[in-house]
Amino acid sequence: MYQLIAMYATVFFVFLLALAFAFVYGESKRSGEYSAIQEKGYKIRKFYFLGLIAIMAFATIMTLGRLPYDRNQAEAEGFSETKVVKVTGIQYAWEMSEERFEVGDTVQFDVTASDVTHGFGLYNEKMELVAQTQAMPEYTNTVYYTFEEPGTYQILCLEYCSTGHHVMVKKIVVEPEGGSSDE
Amino acid sequence: MNDAIHPLARKAVIWHLAVTALVLILMMIFGVIMLMNQGEMISITPQWFYKIMTAHGTGMVGIAALGGTAILWYFLSKYVKLNPAILIVNFVLFLTGVTMVLIAIFVFDFSDGWTFLYPLPAQSAKMYGAAGAVFFLSGMLILGIGFLLLYMYLAARLTAVYGGIGKALGWDIIFRGKKGYGPPAAVVATAMVIITNSTALLAGATVLAASLVNIMNPAITIDPLLAKHLTYAFGHIFANCTIYMAVIAVYEVLSEYTKRPWKANKVFLIAWNCSTLFTLMIYTHHLLMDFAVPKWMLIIGQVFSYANGLPVMVVTAYGALMIVYRSRMKWDFASSLFFLSMFGWVAGAIPAIIDATIVVNHVMHNTKWVPGHFHTYMGMGVVAMIIGFMYYFNKTEGNQQHRGIDTFTITLYFAFFTGLVGSFLYAGGISAPRRWAEHLPQWVLSDQVGAVSGIFIVLAAIIFTARFFAGLRSVGTKVPYHKKSAAG
Repeated sequence: MYQLIAMYATVFFVFLLALAFAFVYGESKRSGEYSAIQEKGYKIRKFYFLGLIAIMAFATIMTLGRLPYDRNQAEAEGFSETKVVKVTGIQYAWEMSEERFEVGDTVQFDVTASDVTHGFGLYNEKMELVAQTQAMPEYTNTVYYTFEEPGTYQILCLEYCSTGHHVMVKKIVVEPEGGSSDE
Repeated sequence: MNDAIHPLARKAVIWHLAVTALVLILMMIFGVIMLMNQGEMISITPQWFYKIMTAHGTGMVGIAALGGTAILWYFLSKYVKLNPAILIVNFVLFLTGVTMVLIAIFVFDFSDGWTFLYPLPAQSAKMYGAAGAVFFLSGMLILGIGFLLLYMYLAARLTAVYGGIGKALGWDIIFRGKKGYGPPAAVVATAMVIITNSTALLAGATVLAASLVNIMNPAITIDPLLAKHLTYAFGHIFANCTIYMAVIAVYEVLSEYTKRPWKANKVFLIAWNCSTLFTLMIYTHHLLMDFAVPKWMLIIGQVFSYANGLPVMVVTAYGALMIVYRSRMKWDFASSLFFLSMFGWVAGAIPAIIDATIVVNHVMHNTKWVPGHFHTYMGMGVVAMIIGFMYYFNKTEGNQQHRGIDTFTITLYFAFFTGLVGSFLYAGGISAPRRWAEHLPQWVLSDQVGAVSGIFIVLAAIIFTARFFAGLRSVGTKVPYHKKSAAG
């Protein structure tokens, strides 16, 4: 969802920006008295400035309540039980205390690294990045994710960790609620 | 012709620009090779991919800093008498550092990225030998020392001429109610860059020295999170400052072309002071996915990353639009590139600000969205400013004229740069990771679009560079027939 919002918002604002530059380029062929242009320009700038502040304040208020590492957030959404999974990144593999999950599981990934810094990037079956944190030596970063769709998920390394960085991929299976039928 | 610049400094500016132009092409070719490999159009080994990636990242930031320095020195000379020896010392140390970095990468196989995240260099030193890591880190240190000496000298000169760095940033107007205008924009920008880049370089020197010590004696360690803070405080601020150096040309040249003064009024000075403060703080948006960082610091990272967009959007870019509006300005190579560079800077800031939102960063950090936004403001912003300055320099100091091919090249460059950054941003939107030697089939098409765009960008850069070197022949050899102004 956030990827789409980011893409559409970028296209929209860059388009507006391009319009402004195109308009000024077109007007550059005419002449005008600069002090009058400045006077009017500064007036418009006040509204433009306040508009930008308003957009940024709105985005801040809307998003800071949904921080990805906030356990309270997970609990507020009704996830009373979490599975705690220990994840360790090592050149070039992911070690996990548990690898099979069910739809509906809320998982607390406690992520660290045993050698260098790696990036824990959780991808769903459609290869959309759904959650991430950094896997750092000497630190544990906790990230929560609730599996809502069954399928094969993958953990990709998203922090450059030397020449095997791109092969540092682990598949994990998320079964439908109640477990797989063949078990 | 800038009579105030020392003849030796003028030569040094030419060396800076010549090296910048040539290295830019090489680094662009490296970029295209990476995209072609990701796009399965060619095949190189992952080892070579990451070596090229390390050279591309380090080289592009370094060369933007070199080009930015040439711009800063050239225009600051109009207001402050400067000793060319310092510029030359920086140039020599830069070349020494770069040579060591290239030896590290291409002789000793160092490939830990420009980020060289601790303890990766020590880990690589164990696997591939210590020489590569030591050459790279030492080269970066020498390069940094050169810039630090330059900023210390500039700080001393601004203090002597303007009574202190604070006054050069207009503090007496902002805080003490002094009437009138502040120092010229070139001075204000220099003061800002001195503060921010000196901080960056000291942070960089600390982590570089600590990493070197760690390689030589593994018993001496540093905290990986602290090391990451220092690395990004170095890298992000240093890369950011290339824009703040290069934008001096926009102030100077657009003002000259439009014959409208771009004076440092109170709002302008407040904006530059805000940029100084925010540029120091916003590197933390690189650590938004390091949840071990205190929550308040991450929130600051988001809020101030937003705020850092305001000075450029509300003062500098808006000022550029206002100064050009109904000015009957002559559109040539320089004015066109400076105008477009302001578009590139702001256009790059938009996805950057969006990515600094923690919930967005959570699903876009280290995807190709990130190079998407910084290629926009580096390629269409800083590099456009530097190339624009190359033309301006040749026109003012020689007799270069705008030709039809220049219009064609500018169009080619910006059209395909839009394609390149569009392909990056799209790839980020579909979760393609950055810094991956090989890509999954669903990401390959965006890489191919990027690679083809990159080829045309290289073509445009080659034409720009050929025109620059051809124009250099007339520099200083005769009185330019354009008289005293490039504005025509």
